[in-house]
Amino acid sequence: MLSRLPFNKQKRVVIISFVALPLLLLLTFSYYPALELVRLSFTSWDGLSPDKEWIGWANYKEVFSNPEIFGVFKHNFAYFAVGIVQNIVAIYFAVVLNGRLKGKNFFRLLLFLPYILNGVAVAYLFGYVFDTTNGSLNYLLGQLGFGALSETSWLGSESFVNYTLASIGFWRFMGFNMVIYLAALQSIPGDIYEAASIDGANGWQQFISITLPNIYKIIELNLFLTVTGALEVFDLPFVLTKGGPAGASETFVMKILETAFQFNNYGLASAMSVVLLLFVIVVLSIQRFLLNGKGD
Amino acid sequence: MKKTYSLALVSVIMLTTLAACGGNNAETNNTSQTNNAGSGTATSEPGSASDISGELVFLTNRTDMIDKQYADYEKRFEEKYPGVDLKFEAITDYDKTLKIRIASGDFPDVVFVPSIPNAELPNYFAPLDDIQFSGDIHFKDLKAYEGKMYGVSSGGSTVGIVYNKNAFEKAGITELPKTYDEFLAASQKLKDAGIVPLASNFKDKWPLDTWVFDIPTLIGGDAAHQNKRAETDTPYTLDNAYGKSWGIIRELHQKGFLEADVNSTNWEQSKKDVASGKYGMYLLGNWVINQVIENGAPAEDIGFFPFPADNSGVAKAPLNPDFFYAVNKNGNVGAAKAFIHWMIEESGYDDFAGFIPTLKSKESKLPQLAEFNSFAPKFFEPVSPVDAATQIQNKAQLDQAAAVQEFVLSKDPQKVLDKVNAAWAKAKKDLGL
Repeated sequence: MLSRLPFNKQKRVVIISFVALPLLLLLTFSYYPALELVRLSFTSWDGLSPDKEWIGWANYKEVFSNPEIFGVFKHNFAYFAVGIVQNIVAIYFAVVLNGRLKGKNFFRLLLFLPYILNGVAVAYLFGYVFDTTNGSLNYLLGQLGFGALSETSWLGSESFVNYTLASIGFWRFMGFNMVIYLAALQSIPGDIYEAASIDGANGWQQFISITLPNIYKIIELNLFLTVTGALEVFDLPFVLTKGGPAGASETFVMKILETAFQFNNYGLASAMSVVLLLFVIVVLSIQRFLLNGKGD
Repeated sequence: MKKTYSLALVSVIMLTTLAACGGNNAETNNTSQTNNAGSGTATSEPGSASDISGELVFLTNRTDMIDKQYADYEKRFEEKYPGVDLKFEAITDYDKTLKIRIASGDFPDVVFVPSIPNAELPNYFAPLDDIQFSGDIHFKDLKAYEGKMYGVSSGGSTVGIVYNKNAFEKAGITELPKTYDEFLAASQKLKDAGIVPLASNFKDKWPLDTWVFDIPTLIGGDAAHQNKRAETDTPYTLDNAYGKSWGIIRELHQKGFLEADVNSTNWEQSKKDVASGKYGMYLLGNWVINQVIENGAPAEDIGFFPFPADNSGVAKAPLNPDFFYAVNKNGNVGAAKAFIHWMIEESGYDDFAGFIPTLKSKESKLPQLAEFNSFAPKFFEPVSPVDAATQIQNKAQLDQAAAVQEFVLSKDPQKVLDKVNAAWAKAKKDLGL
């Protein structure tokens, strides 16, 4: 039937029918819930009752004026800081494993494996590592002769609990970042390096002048993933510390869940989600602005 | 030509499926609306007891009992009521999941009451006053609204010290402590014997609920303390029941009677440690006794006595309800009521779960509960929660167990209370209560 139609019309029919289905799915399962979220954020819905009372901007005012809510963002800073280090280490490993090295596929696999593990499983695993009295880390430290250090409460110290948790994220996602960098590195043609070494450039100069500019877009992508990951971290503190000690490791997403499901304030929780979304956009815009300014 | 047909066929099928989707939606909407409208009038006349038949679904949180005890329950229940087809559906994360299903307008016939205000109970559940139990039951008024009962407790539990008798023997404790000072002395003996006196499971938060709900009841001699918070701007002070209760766990922490690092506790491991005598005691509900026994302790080694919260020497204990059965008012009400009656009177579920029976006249078969009762404790039954207190607490986003954590860890506990009170007062004012 289609073959009788003129070519342009055929093309249009094919395009529309192929695009319609994914668009329909996208609209029903992504955009409609998102819009519903925005609508709920202006109500005081308790998650159950049929009437959703419209209360205007009150929820948003609450989010920004209550330090208990907005203040937890500073806990996310640790994840961000560790995320930067994680990217540097990932580039380092990518460069090393891109060169000539015996058994490099094995090392690649080794570094990538943690990413495959389920997040909650990873959290439980590290619960045993960081346990103060029976944990393997403190046991190791004790055996190595660091008596005082081996009694550290890794998950119980308000000052560095977030860094302890972030280090687990490091262990888990470094390999993933590395694989992305590796793919980028492999797309750089080898003759550029050849030409550079003929001109007498050493390894570091090659890295700065050839490798970095070529993987710039990928660094941006990885930073994007790191920043959103840092802002939305949830599973590690939820399983390991329940936000403790005394709320020191509570993250914004945990706060959202608590607000919705423990305090039955779905309206406020929706507003918090919208704020988180906006926050991610703002941080990413800043990051893009800074990186592009440098890049061009 | 063939192509034309198949294409036409495909489009017809797609269109009909789409149309069917839409039609379905409209239909369910309609039915739920009519149901709502209809039941508004139907609630006034209690469901007639004669029509006990049809399918009956019970939504339970005990995933572990599916195909085991429940298979037996189903057989016995259907023997008594041959017309009923009883089904069990077990879910985890019960409260959240059930609330979502209730919000969708379609949920099983018998469920456990979710955490909603009592005033909303009549919107979803049928009144259960006409179930004829063989005697008085506990917690009759807790899930009631305007004089009608909407929930029947599946069992009760009390809170006290669950202890390892071997550990006590090893530490040279010959007599169980009856006052707070004796309790401290016993703890010191345990500590000197290299045993961690009390497993608090501080990190996990929920075990601290005891200090929020139960111990203040014993100290104040009043179970309504959570409700009375609604009447004041400063519900948490150092010299009231909360301050005293939280002060006890703070003192235990400072004297080193809790785990070495309270921020790094492990609930599953602690059960094994209490069972083996590495830890001496728990301050938890009697439900934990069976779990300790499952983790390797001989049943006769585990004992249970009331927690001496003060030096009066009078044994006191709270009596707390477990989940409440409720009946979907749009479901199979008659059979559901028969099922609840059967669960309470005949199933034996209370003994299996280690509950204090809901029927006041029934005795528990658990030996530890017998030991507990030998202290002749004065039991405090809870009062039904006042919505105002819950509202303020939700508005203030107050997690009391987290506040206990902060209180215990902080150098200046008064500051923690000030912070909590300030949030409380602000929420109270914002709500206009």
